[in-house]
Amino acid sequence: MVSQPHDPTSLLQEVLARKAGGFVELRLHKKRTRGVAVEKGRVETAQATEHSGIGVRVHESGTWGFASTDRMEAAAIERAIDNARAAARAAAFARREKSTPPPPVELARGRFEAPGVAEAEQRSTEQLLQLALSVEAAARAASPSIRSATSSYSEVFEEKAIVTSDGACAWTRLVRPEFRVVAIAERAGEIQRGAELVGVTGGWECLFASTAPEELAGRAAQQALDLLSAGYPQGGRKRVLLSPAIVGLLTHEAIGHTVEADFVSAGSCAANRLGTRVASELVTLCDSGASEYHSGAGGTLEVDDEGVRTRRTVIIDSGILSSYLHDRESAARFGVEPTGNARAFEFDNEPLIRMRNTYIAPGTSELEQMIAEMEDGYLFDGASNGQADANGEFMFGTRLCWRIENGRRKELLRGVNISGQAFDVLMSVDAVGRDFRWDLGSGHCGKGQPAKVDAGGPWLRARVVVGGRR
Amino acid sequence: MSIAQATLGAELIERSRRLVELARAHGADEAEVFAVHARTQAVRFEKGDLKLAQSDEGTTLGLRVFVGQRLGFASSNQSSDAALEHAAANAVTLARFSPPDLHNRLPAPRSLRMLEPLCDPAIEAAGIGELVEHARDFVARVLARDARLSIDGASLDSMVNTQAIVSSAGVRAAEADTHVSASIGGMAIEGDAVGGIHYEGDSTRRWSELPRLLESLEHDFCEVALANLHPSKGESYQGGVLFSPDAFVDVFLAPLISSMSAIAVQRGRSPLAGKLGQRIASPLLSIDDDPTDRTLAGAGSFDREGQPMVRTALMESGALCTWLYNSYAAQVEGRISTGHARGGARGVPSLGPHALSVRAGTGGSREDLLRALGRGLWVQRFSGTVEAASGDFSGVAKSARWIEEGRVARSVGEVLISGNLYQLLERIRVLSSTRQRLSGSALAPYALVDGISVTAG
Repeated sequence: MVSQPHDPTSLLQEVLARKAGGFVELRLHKKRTRGVAVEKGRVETAQATEHSGIGVRVHESGTWGFASTDRMEAAAIERAIDNARAAARAAAFARREKSTPPPPVELARGRFEAPGVAEAEQRSTEQLLQLALSVEAAARAASPSIRSATSSYSEVFEEKAIVTSDGACAWTRLVRPEFRVVAIAERAGEIQRGAELVGVTGGWECLFASTAPEELAGRAAQQALDLLSAGYPQGGRKRVLLSPAIVGLLTHEAIGHTVEADFVSAGSCAANRLGTRVASELVTLCDSGASEYHSGAGGTLEVDDEGVRTRRTVIIDSGILSSYLHDRESAARFGVEPTGNARAFEFDNEPLIRMRNTYIAPGTSELEQMIAEMEDGYLFDGASNGQADANGEFMFGTRLCWRIENGRRKELLRGVNISGQAFDVLMSVDAVGRDFRWDLGSGHCGKGQPAKVDAGGPWLRARVVVGGRR
Repeated sequence: MSIAQATLGAELIERSRRLVELARAHGADEAEVFAVHARTQAVRFEKGDLKLAQSDEGTTLGLRVFVGQRLGFASSNQSSDAALEHAAANAVTLARFSPPDLHNRLPAPRSLRMLEPLCDPAIEAAGIGELVEHARDFVARVLARDARLSIDGASLDSMVNTQAIVSSAGVRAAEADTHVSASIGGMAIEGDAVGGIHYEGDSTRRWSELPRLLESLEHDFCEVALANLHPSKGESYQGGVLFSPDAFVDVFLAPLISSMSAIAVQRGRSPLAGKLGQRIASPLLSIDDDPTDRTLAGAGSFDREGQPMVRTALMESGALCTWLYNSYAAQVEGRISTGHARGGARGVPSLGPHALSVRAGTGGSREDLLRALGRGLWVQRFSGTVEAASGDFSGVAKSARWIEEGRVARSVGEVLISGNLYQLLERIRVLSSTRQRLSGSALAPYALVDGISVTAG
């Protein structure tokens, strides 16, 4: 699968020179994937896909037009520019407040290559299949009670060229591999599932840097077995300890979405609260295009899809709301610099304001000390899905829960969903751990289009509503 | 199918046939190509004003090959000869590395009854300007209803899709479909109070039905979003909860149907294994998969493997009628597919229902079910997690209302519900006589279910 990179920006610049006039943004996006999945010894899929093309966004007649083409030829790109302009003109009559093209900002120029691309390209398909087959077999062999297992590996190679009429000329390449193993245990008709998922921006060495694939298989199997005999937590408002994966969900769902500037403009609970206290002073929450603290965070990117260099944005600084997340248009409206958060999933998607790597900065507490200080409560781990609301009410799923009593971790319980009001929960934070981990690099965030993000943090103690049994 | 779509269908079949031949030339024993051509136009509104108008067109070909019953798959949206050659070589190379599976075999062609007309020439002909006009008026009407309403996003899309399938086993079919779909998401804001966000969406195959569809979305969105303002604390209890059709499908039916996949049963991850023909739910519950219902988005004549899609009874009075089969799952049991292969051109065929239709009950209207509940929680949307294997669910009750004396007393927030769906299917007390279309993809009634754990924050 080794490819010879060829700078695609020159083609876009030539087209742009011929079709000058007004603001034009050309984004060539080549997306190649490889994936294998094995269930119970059977290869479910062994696939290679390509989905490539050019997205064109123009500002015309006081509004935006967008068109795309899957043909990487000058004539097709020129037609797409015409189509985008025609779409904008045909729609402009409905725009009540005419917008202006984004004001000039410093834009990215040059080549940006994330680590791991060459290494991943050199892996043979046979290696991918062997990995999935051996790990699936290992998970199934863990116990006679493991009835079935699934192991899957996928990688996405993305190459983009972003050229705009106001100066961006960037060429980026990266790879994002993911690995999952799921084990199904059954005893007396009761079925439980254990799962381990990892995903990074980088090569295999980065993907399996902290845990070997076989160890992930063992963990997934053990989880499924342990959950067979686990009970349920009791519902209600509780003092809880959240693992880095769950803290990642909290930062992403509870806060991250409410500070996306498009959501703020629509009236999210973060609107008009800049400069006010929204969290305990122990909380500093950021979103970054870089992989802070540890390498490989799944949402890492150097240049966003408007050609803006990404950077670290401090959203909450020691408890004070200090910034929203912006694309070029919203930044101009709010009178600030763009934060590099404009992202499009594929060439035929328009860029939207999206998170990258969102996290709470580490504090000073040790996990054992945080447990010892709790009389009664729960410890949650194993992130599942999550969702945010405009009013700050969030929910996220957890897979594992331990009861804490008199400063000691007790029996394992089944994970349940937890909820709360975002800022109330952050105000209730009374301890932030020392150790930091990225832990949401697998899977996607959905907001009309998917986006690869990551999130994480240290262990954290707060009060939330636990959706347990009565 | 219009002349333009018929021509496009013929072109897709020809391109697919060429790719099948290429794959055979590279060493595939069997090859199947699923091709999709999509033309879409979209307008997006943000905060009540036009944000963007978009126009796209593209084709993707997905190639599945078997080499000695070893599976390989490749897809590409690039149309050059070199790209097709590359896809064929990729799929065959992948297959050569895969272990063989005795059940890997392409299905033979079966007679298809084409479900026409799925296309509306008016949707094919509609331009961006017409979409913008409808969307602008829709957004304006919503905002004029109440100054407290804020629209996060609204969109109107028209889609003309043509799909074709050709295989070395002799399958050969093409079909075109048109849709216009609308969605709106937003909330009500009063002073510092922000209500919970609410989404509505629907789609239709008839351009002439668009005004009525938008009117219905407008009414439902405004009613729920406004009532979401100023939620108060709920109450914790275990007992009856009224589920709107959307929440009923998310909590109970979607995981139930996924456990009815023959593959889930064969691989030991379905708790329903061994229960075919047995009653596992209240006798009130009967479910069909009805891809012959043109009002549902999943309607069509053939599935992802070119097999006929027909109306299938999945559950009759609480008893399991069948598992869902694609050709692989059918081969395992030596039977024929039920036509439930699903998916697009960018992946191997998966397995699932096309157009879920829960039969109406006899409980009357939504208001009748509120009266039957008397006192308790009404959940309109579920935001949570359901484990299909174990049946455990837990999540937030969104747009939730507290019911007193059979009427809505107030909006409630921070309320979680939990339980086990396989245990609670037996405890469906009543289903409404009226049903709702869920974003055009399913039909379901309101359901009053006993035994739910409700936790208020």
